[in-house]
Amino acid sequence: MPSYKLTYFKHWGRAGVLRLLFAAGGIEFEDVRIEREQWPELKPKTPMGQIPILEVDGTIICQTKAIGRLIAKEAGLAGKTPLEAAQVDMIVDGLSDLQVKIVDFFIEKDEKKKQEKIKEFAEKTLPMFLDTYEKLANSSGHFVGDALTWADVDFFSLMFFLKDHLPNDPLKGHVNLTKVRDNVTSNPGIAAWMEKETSH
Amino acid sequence: MPAYKLTYFNARGRAEPIRLLFAAAGIKYEDVRIEGADWPALKPKTPMGYLPILEVDGATLCESTAIARFVAKRAGLVGKDDLQQAKADMIVDGMKDILKKLILMVLEKDEIKKEELKTDISEKTLPEFLSKYENLANPSGFFAGDSLSWADVDFYNLIERVRAMFPGDHLKGKPNLVKVMANVKANPGIAKWVKERPESAF
Repeated sequence: MPSYKLTYFKHWGRAGVLRLLFAAGGIEFEDVRIEREQWPELKPKTPMGQIPILEVDGTIICQTKAIGRLIAKEAGLAGKTPLEAAQVDMIVDGLSDLQVKIVDFFIEKDEKKKQEKIKEFAEKTLPMFLDTYEKLANSSGHFVGDALTWADVDFFSLMFFLKDHLPNDPLKGHVNLTKVRDNVTSNPGIAAWMEKETSH
Repeated sequence: MPAYKLTYFNARGRAEPIRLLFAAAGIKYEDVRIEGADWPALKPKTPMGYLPILEVDGATLCESTAIARFVAKRAGLVGKDDLQQAKADMIVDGMKDILKKLILMVLEKDEIKKEELKTDISEKTLPEFLSKYENLANPSGFFAGDSLSWADVDFYNLIERVRAMFPGDHLKGKPNLVKVMANVKANPGIAKWVKERPESAF
């Protein structure tokens, strides 16, 4: 097995899902979490001036989804056929479209504008998105096939990130999506990881 | 052989990388181009409410990058091992930021703001992007391994779009990227498609 070194900030952000994938696959990795002050020195050493980055046996990969796909493949969570892999990819890409909207309100500095954006997101954007995703998930609580994939883990990861920013559980009333979340949190590797992550 | 049906508007837009990949590999597909007026009826039948979609093996895929990767795999243009594939993936995803800025500039209606965005792209975003990508391509003109991949094709498509909006020799002093463009243009399937493809505004 190759050696993996993941580098990101301490918070959940973009690397949360990557750490979950390692956990789900039971794959050892070096989980490097840097302070903000260390970033300027590291930035020019990264391929595109961004983190997360994953070093695999000396090669550096950037871009969250490129890293996610690599770990997912190693963990057997990338879909069983090329078509399934494409279906996993499309679910993940749709989640990242939503993430762009989240980043938009997250980085808004004007407090009044920020609250307006959060309101629009919570009352319109997110419900519409979840209605679409409810139909894309099946009744056994999976987005692709009948087993856990990166698509399910990525969905959980984004919902976990959002929960501190929303007044209510957005998955209420979404039967399939609630099952997806349950399937992810009951994965033994992920359950153990989340226990560690949320216990401080 | 499975049948492929690609549906998009009559434009290069988000579907062109997919069409280029089909062309590069000589894979036959149905290139459906719908009129704007026909879109409202089709929209609810798509997985996420937007185009392009690809119908294959009884399934409907959306998200242009996911579709392009799927076609690239069928075309043998995805990278030779997991690490090369990850490299190709990162190159493709890394182009999204500049593409987003280009689209925002095109859609900007305020002329003054539009000029500001244009200047920001031509003086900052584009040169920074090309510097980074020059270092990520190898001297033989490939982004992943030593042969053509979909990352090279996607880069070529982006540069063609950039040139249409920002005339000029942007790749001057960037020999690796010049070679990437040459490698893609030298692919017979792509060369033929570029010559014969339908005309469209964008």
